[in-house]
Amino acid sequence: MVLLEKEQFDVIGKRFDIKNIGKVTGKEVYSCDVNIPGQLYAVVLRSPYPHAEIKKIDYTEAEKMGAICIGPDDVPDTLYNERIVSIPDKTYRDRKVLPKDKVRHVGEAIAACAAETEEKAFAALKKIKVEWGRKWEPVVTLDDAMDSKAPAIYDHVYLGEEKVEVKNNLACERNIAVSDVEEGFKEADIIVDETFNIKRVYHMQLETKSAVCKPEANGGITLWTTTQGIHNVRILLGHIFDISLSKINVKRITLGGSFGSSIQMNSITPICVALALKAKRPVKLVTSREEDMYDHSSYPLKTRLKVGVKKDGTLTAAHCQVWVEIGGHNIQAYPYLGCVAGWFASLYKWKNIKYEGKAIYSNKGPSCARRGYGSPQINFPVENMMDILAEKLGMDPVHFRLQNYVGRGDEFWGQGPTVKSIIRSCGVEEMLVKGVELIGWHKRGTPDEKSGTIRKGIGVARGFHTSGTGGPKAGEVIDYSGATIKINEDGSVDVITALMDHGGGTWDAGAKVVAEVLKVPFEKISIDNGVDTRTTVFDVNTHATRGIYCGCGAIKFVAEKVKKMLLDYAATLFNDRPENLTLALNEELGQGIIYPEGLPENYKTIGEIADYARITSAGTISYTSTLRQKNCPPCFVTYFTEVEVDTRTGEITVPRVVMLGDSGTIINPELWKGQILGAYALGLGVGKLESIPYDKITGKLKCNGFITDFKIPTTIDMPNIDNIIVDHAHTYEPTGPFGAKGIGEAALSAVASSFGNAVYNAVGIRFHELPITPEIMLKTLEEKEIGGKVRDAN
Amino acid sequence: MKKIPIEFFINGQKREALVNSNDLLINILRDDLYLTGTKYGCGIGECGACTVFLDNEPVLSCLTLAATIDGKEITTIEGLAKGNELHPMQIAFLKNAAVQCGFCTPGMILTAVALLKENPSPTEEEIKDYMRGNLCRCTGYVQIVKAIKACVTEAKNQLTN
Amino acid sequence: MQTNTKILAQEFEYLAPKTIDEALDLLNKYKDKNIKILAGGTELLVKMKTIDLKIDYLINIKNISELNFVDTDRGLRIGAVTPLSRIIREEKVKIKYSALYEGIMSMAAPAIRNMGTMAGNLGNASPAADTVPPLIAYGAEVKLQSKRGEHTVLVEDFIIGVGETIMKPDELITEINIPEVNKNTGSAFLKKSRVKADLSKINLAIHLEKEGNICKDCKIVFGSVAIKVLRAEKTENLLKGQIVNSELIDKAAEKASCEIKPIDDIRSTAEYRIATSKEMLKDGFELAWARAKD
Repeated sequence: MVLLEKEQFDVIGKRFDIKNIGKVTGKEVYSCDVNIPGQLYAVVLRSPYPHAEIKKIDYTEAEKMGAICIGPDDVPDTLYNERIVSIPDKTYRDRKVLPKDKVRHVGEAIAACAAETEEKAFAALKKIKVEWGRKWEPVVTLDDAMDSKAPAIYDHVYLGEEKVEVKNNLACERNIAVSDVEEGFKEADIIVDETFNIKRVYHMQLETKSAVCKPEANGGITLWTTTQGIHNVRILLGHIFDISLSKINVKRITLGGSFGSSIQMNSITPICVALALKAKRPVKLVTSREEDMYDHSSYPLKTRLKVGVKKDGTLTAAHCQVWVEIGGHNIQAYPYLGCVAGWFASLYKWKNIKYEGKAIYSNKGPSCARRGYGSPQINFPVENMMDILAEKLGMDPVHFRLQNYVGRGDEFWGQGPTVKSIIRSCGVEEMLVKGVELIGWHKRGTPDEKSGTIRKGIGVARGFHTSGTGGPKAGEVIDYSGATIKINEDGSVDVITALMDHGGGTWDAGAKVVAEVLKVPFEKISIDNGVDTRTTVFDVNTHATRGIYCGCGAIKFVAEKVKKMLLDYAATLFNDRPENLTLALNEELGQGIIYPEGLPENYKTIGEIADYARITSAGTISYTSTLRQKNCPPCFVTYFTEVEVDTRTGEITVPRVVMLGDSGTIINPELWKGQILGAYALGLGVGKLESIPYDKITGKLKCNGFITDFKIPTTIDMPNIDNIIVDHAHTYEPTGPFGAKGIGEAALSAVASSFGNAVYNAVGIRFHELPITPEIMLKTLEEKEIGGKVRDAN
Repeated sequence: MKKIPIEFFINGQKREALVNSNDLLINILRDDLYLTGTKYGCGIGECGACTVFLDNEPVLSCLTLAATIDGKEITTIEGLAKGNELHPMQIAFLKNAAVQCGFCTPGMILTAVALLKENPSPTEEEIKDYMRGNLCRCTGYVQIVKAIKACVTEAKNQLTN
Repeated sequence: MQTNTKILAQEFEYLAPKTIDEALDLLNKYKDKNIKILAGGTELLVKMKTIDLKIDYLINIKNISELNFVDTDRGLRIGAVTPLSRIIREEKVKIKYSALYEGIMSMAAPAIRNMGTMAGNLGNASPAADTVPPLIAYGAEVKLQSKRGEHTVLVEDFIIGVGETIMKPDELITEINIPEVNKNTGSAFLKKSRVKADLSKINLAIHLEKEGNICKDCKIVFGSVAIKVLRAEKTENLLKGQIVNSELIDKAAEKASCEIKPIDDIRSTAEYRIATSKEMLKDGFELAWARAKD
């Protein structure tokens, strides 16, 4: 195994800070900041009902006020899925720009209007009259939605080109079996069967979804919008509005956080486009926070997990049943069920597996991927189960995990059963062993040994995520990226790529990779905005933790081609062969230099070479290509959380954490840490604070979309700096750019699980449902018999 | 509705405007003055993304009527640097990886600057407490707190040099 | 009812008097119309955005310099539009009126405290208001002025229900008066919330007077446990004149938990509020008692 130490790199693994300068000066432009002269401001009319027939919409009063209005009859009737990451055959379609028949959740868009100011638009909006037909009682819980008497939210939808009947609100299902789970259970000495429930939370990305659309003279459009993938937005809009892709230009623009909520084209984007095309003027549509909260939330997951194990600690079988209510639209439930199976199957060597997953429609805002895409949701049951089994076996939970984890050399399911590969780099053991020392695992005690009003506990959990969705063969999920890289006439470099950065440092990593390959100073690499669908080759999306492994993998591939071109051309200038030349970074000159090996004093700078190519009309040194990675190596995490439970008030604090990650080569250590720390806060929110319940009668969010009553962790909820340890395993992924894998979603996978396990260690109660609020903790402490079982799969 | 004339200073520049009684400062800044550094995050004073300085004190522009800024001084994130010279807090945020998606960053930086003006040597507890109204979903806050601490240390070093 | 928190949708006339007299004239002129007074705006604008509160006239009193003061000569006299952040900068507040200091510090975040005013907090009359329990515990009074004259009312009698006060449409809160505290008194404020910058699930202000080991007098005020801030008078009577020991405090805690009338709401449950009220009473009493030693 080759381990490239940091010292061998010029740029990789080192710290730079200039690329975010726009963000600290207020100059960074996000979609909501774009202003086009002559623009109109748009607002969207949203359904107050959870499930109701639209009979007629009257815009007369609104139009009298000077507003441009659109309704279901003003937009194309195309049925689509706003997420086209899966291949068409595996994509369910139930969405239209504006529904013609009925609304299926409170907050669903019905119509929209645009006017000179937002105030005028909103005043006109309130004058739009909707005539409603039949109204149905909302189904808001999983059980209510699955009930045979529940109103049918859909009669049929489409899967690819096939019409599919929808019965009992079943949106889709996925069943997978490996070997024989019944035989496996027969071999087991201990069998545990438990049910867990992870509820919906809201992404609460700081930037609400927005779009600005400028209609062009040739009938096309230019668009700025909150998205993780500009090309998919272009393709969808071209398809929906029947406009040639060559006439649609989607700009790559900085995104104010996403966590998966802009993998799909956001629902307001085609609405904005429709308004712009009708008004023949630019239209700006920025959603309010309350609209955003109805627009998307994470996938919940109810899991029934039955696991068998032998006395010696060997797992023999696992039967996993999951149910997820997905809201009023199916955005990506089918691949979600596949991924959940993958996350579950690839954590431990279950030997025999049976997986059954069902996705159910409900009258709530549509669920969509949230950082981890089912991994945090299934990690919680699995990691709790591991602790339960370890306790029954009388084994240390860490040892039990070490005995059974899927690691180096093992086959693992990347993103689901159709993508299998062998793990080549794995720091799981290193992290468990290291973490045990760092947290003081052996001093943690058992729940019965604890006393006093404040109970301390330590819990462990491990997780992972695939680095992208690649596999040996192209499969159900489209996954490739590309770039154009060109050397400018002064030796600086333009990297033109549609790869998005949500703030995790993807662009920084891309620039670093190019700098490392071409030996050009980091400051001279531009990966800046000012690119769009017209100037970039296809990139599927920055999601699935693929930014580094796939995105930067493709960038590295193209950079290597540019390097070859550069050396080939330089060779002609040196009258030598390219393999006899050395390419190196010269910090003093601030340039990459090329010299005949052994004669550094005879160097030419890359700038000189590129300018010479210009003067002699030789051409531009550049290359364009795309790359599909043929693997999706897992990046692993292991977290140890210490909690303190105040048994008088039920409040739980987290005084100490040890967080370890395995990403192979770490391209930007500080941003890598930032991913782990940020994920910890997200997971803590899931563990003790967040939920977005809907009212069963009205179908409305109980908080009405106001964050007054959707609280997320603040500065105070994180441990003090001295009590946070973040460290990494020493691994190298041979198939990754400079040995790198991802981290983004892996970072969230095990947070809430480690929190839950810590709570068990503190008070001897295992909560099967999150969040563990003080109210629930106090009540459960008082009724210890219930033991925190699932009360309501909501 | 009749328009209300107001006169104010924005980032050191004197401006006049005619505003509606219901115009909000955040929208005057973003839509009329094209100072889009100040962000809309929630509209109801819960997230801190719209923080600006009003007469040198941090306030929330989403809950400030434009009419009420008559005769006052506003500083937005765009007004923090002096020409090309970044404010020490901006430098500290860059150097300590306290910026990810950046949407909360303007509000964070301004609030942190206000903190150090009021309390030049805060403890970690005091920093966390003061910043508790600025929400961030990306960073988990730790590197932000580190950046503020680094700014404090840097200021102390400057004094002793 | 669709909301749009990006803007203020309501149309209204905006007035900005520069003196108290001007303000009172306007209030008198428009007393039969839908008027609202703008001090900090933190609560009013949120209501306008989230529940479509309609108004015809908005009177901004923040520019009235006569209403922006803190006078620490006798007790505390606080002008109606004094920003909360200014109040807590006064040494006297920090040292002698700990419950008020802690109450204000528990509110939201610095930016809100720079905008918010005590008069606004009182006028809004939320049962969850954090300044109200301390003000009641200190026996504070509100001064109300109108063209008809002026009068003072105990804060305790000022608020009569959720969002309801005894204020008449032509009246203006001009100042809040907090009496000087006796020697050997101590006070404390406690609050439970989901995160620290949050409305209270339950809050508590205690102000007591110590004489040797006897609790000579005390005021115990809970918020977020009834339709208005509640003085736990039965609990107070249990403690007054008694020798303080852990048994007494336990009894008082039990009593307090029975006196409060909380409900289930989106922030918490009645059950939780009742259970934690006991712990808070114990903690708050001990803290105030320790402070009374000074």
